[in-house]
Amino acid sequence: METMIDSRMMMTDFLTALFDKLDVAGVAVMSKLPSGEKTAFTLFTGKDDIKECVPFFPAMPANAARAVSKFTRQAVPSKTVAVFLRPCELRAFTELIKIKQASFDNLLILSYDCSGVFPFQEINLSDETKLNAYRDAVSTGKNCEGIRPVCAACTRFTPQGEDIAISFVGRSTDQPLVFSFPSEKGLAAAEQLGLDVSNTVAASSAVESLAQERRSAEEELTAEVDASLSDTQGLVNVFDRCVSCHACSYVCPICYCKNCYFDSQTFEYFPESYFIRMQAKGALRFPVDRVLFHLGRLSHMGVSCVACGMCEDVCPVNIPVSQIFKTAGSKAQALFDYIPGENYDEPLPLLAYAEQELEEFED
Amino acid sequence: MANNETDIKIVAFLCNWCTFTAADLAGTSRLKYAPNIRIVKVMCSSRIEPVFILKVLLDGADGVFIGGCAPGDCHYSKGNFYARRKVALAKTLAKSAGLDSERIRLSWIPASEGPRFAHVVNEFTAHIKELGDNPARREVYI
Ligand code: SF4
Ligand code: SF4
Ligand code: SF4
Repeated sequence: METMIDSRMMMTDFLTALFDKLDVAGVAVMSKLPSGEKTAFTLFTGKDDIKECVPFFPAMPANAARAVSKFTRQAVPSKTVAVFLRPCELRAFTELIKIKQASFDNLLILSYDCSGVFPFQEINLSDETKLNAYRDAVSTGKNCEGIRPVCAACTRFTPQGEDIAISFVGRSTDQPLVFSFPSEKGLAAAEQLGLDVSNTVAASSAVESLAQERRSAEEELTAEVDASLSDTQGLVNVFDRCVSCHACSYVCPICYCKNCYFDSQTFEYFPESYFIRMQAKGALRFPVDRVLFHLGRLSHMGVSCVACGMCEDVCPVNIPVSQIFKTAGSKAQALFDYIPGENYDEPLPLLAYAEQELEEFED
Repeated sequence: MANNETDIKIVAFLCNWCTFTAADLAGTSRLKYAPNIRIVKVMCSSRIEPVFILKVLLDGADGVFIGGCAPGDCHYSKGNFYARRKVALAKTLAKSAGLDSERIRLSWIPASEGPRFAHVVNEFTAHIKELGDNPARREVYI
C-alpha cells in the first residue's frame, strides 16, 4: 500500500493546480449540465468552468473508458490530459489498451476508491436527501441504499493502474483531498504540484468494512443470478422482455466494435430458413436469436466484463443485464485465472494458451 | 416428442486434417456408428467460435461435438490449443446460462483412428440419449 498524504487542497484547488502547475492540456471529469439536474463526462481545456466539475457525483452517464478511448485511440494527445476514471472505468480502459483501442501515453490517470453510483435515471443534482445519505455512507464505509446492485456487490472498488489515487471511502468530502501516488508519473506530478509528501495520513478502516459488506453482497447476487438461470426455462424467462435493442452493447466499454457481429448480415437469414426453423418448432418468436445475442456477447467480451453496470442502466425493460454479465463473466474469468483490467501486459484469455491446461474439457 | 435414436441430433464440427479424415476413414472402412451426427467440416478446430456452439444448442440440437487433432499434432501447430480454450469458455458460459454443458464434447481424434471416431460418436450419442431431448428444441420463445 502506497503512503497516503494530506494534500491540504480541496478539489477546486487541485483542479486549478492541474492547469497552473502541471500545465495539462485538459481535464476529463464529470460535470454539471446547464439543465441543473444531470451530469456528463466532459473534457475541459481551461479552468474557467472548474466549479461545474463534480468528479465524485454518484452517477455514470457513460463509461468514461469509452470517452477516453476516443481521444487516445489513434494518436497520443500531444500534451498531458488528466482524466478521472472510476475503478471499473479504469479497468475497462486497461482492457481497451489490450485491444489497441486506447493508450495511456500522455494521460495522467486519477482514480479513487469508489462508493458506487445510483442508476442514472434515479439521481439528480437536486436530490439532497439521497446525496446526503450517500455522503454519510461514504464516510462510514457502507453501501448507500439505492445504489446499483452491481455497485453494492463490487469487490474491486479500489483502483488499479492509476497515477494518482484519491482516498474517498471513509473520508468526508469537505475535508482536503488525501492522495497516494502508485506510479512514477504520479510521483512526478506530486513534486510538480509542490505537495509535501511528509504529511502522511493513515488508511481508513472504512475501506475494509465496505469490502466486507461488498463481499457478502456479491455472494448473494451470484446466488440470485444462478438461481434465476438454473435451466433453459429460467434462461427464457430472464430474457423474456428483451426487445433486442442492443443498447446494452452500445454502451458497454468493452463492446468497442464499430459494426457489431450481431447487427451484421450473418444474422439476416433467407426467408425459407425462418420457415424451416418454424416447422421444426411449430412456431417462431421474432426477433429471432435474442438469447443468442446475450450468450454470444458474453462469449465475446465476458472475460473482460468489469461489471460497470452501464448495460443495466440503459436497458429499457429492466433486465438485470450487468448482474448477469458480472456473474457469468466472473466464472469465465475464473476459468482462465484472469482479472480484467489488472495488468495491461496480460493477453486476453482467448489469445493465449498453455500446452497443459483445461484437461477436464477434452478427451 | 419421441426420444428415439434417430430423433437425436448432434452437430459435429470436425477439423479437416484429423477428425474429419478419421470420419472419412470410418466410412471407407464401413464401420457402423450412430447416424445422429451432422458433420460440418472446418479447416481447423480453432475456427470454431463459442457462438457456433451456443447457437447450435439454443436452436435445439441435442449435442455439439468438436473434433480436432491431438495436442501437439495440429496441422497449424497450435490451433487446437486455442480451440480448447474456446470450447472451455462455451461450456462454462452454457453452464452459467442454464444450458446443459454435458451436451458439448471436445475430442482429439487423429486421422488414422477411424475406429476411435466410431467409438466416440457412439459413446457421445448414448450419453445424449441418457440426457434426453434438449429442452431448447421445442422452445419457441428463446
Ligand atoms: S457483441 Fe461482440 S461483436 Fe458486438 S460489439 Fe460486443 S464484442 Fe463486438
Ligand atoms: S457487460 Fe455491462 S457491466 Fe460488463 S463491462 Fe459491459 S456495460 Fe459494463
Ligand atoms: S438493453 Fe435490454 S432490451 Fe435492449 S438488447 Fe439489451 S437486454 Fe435486451
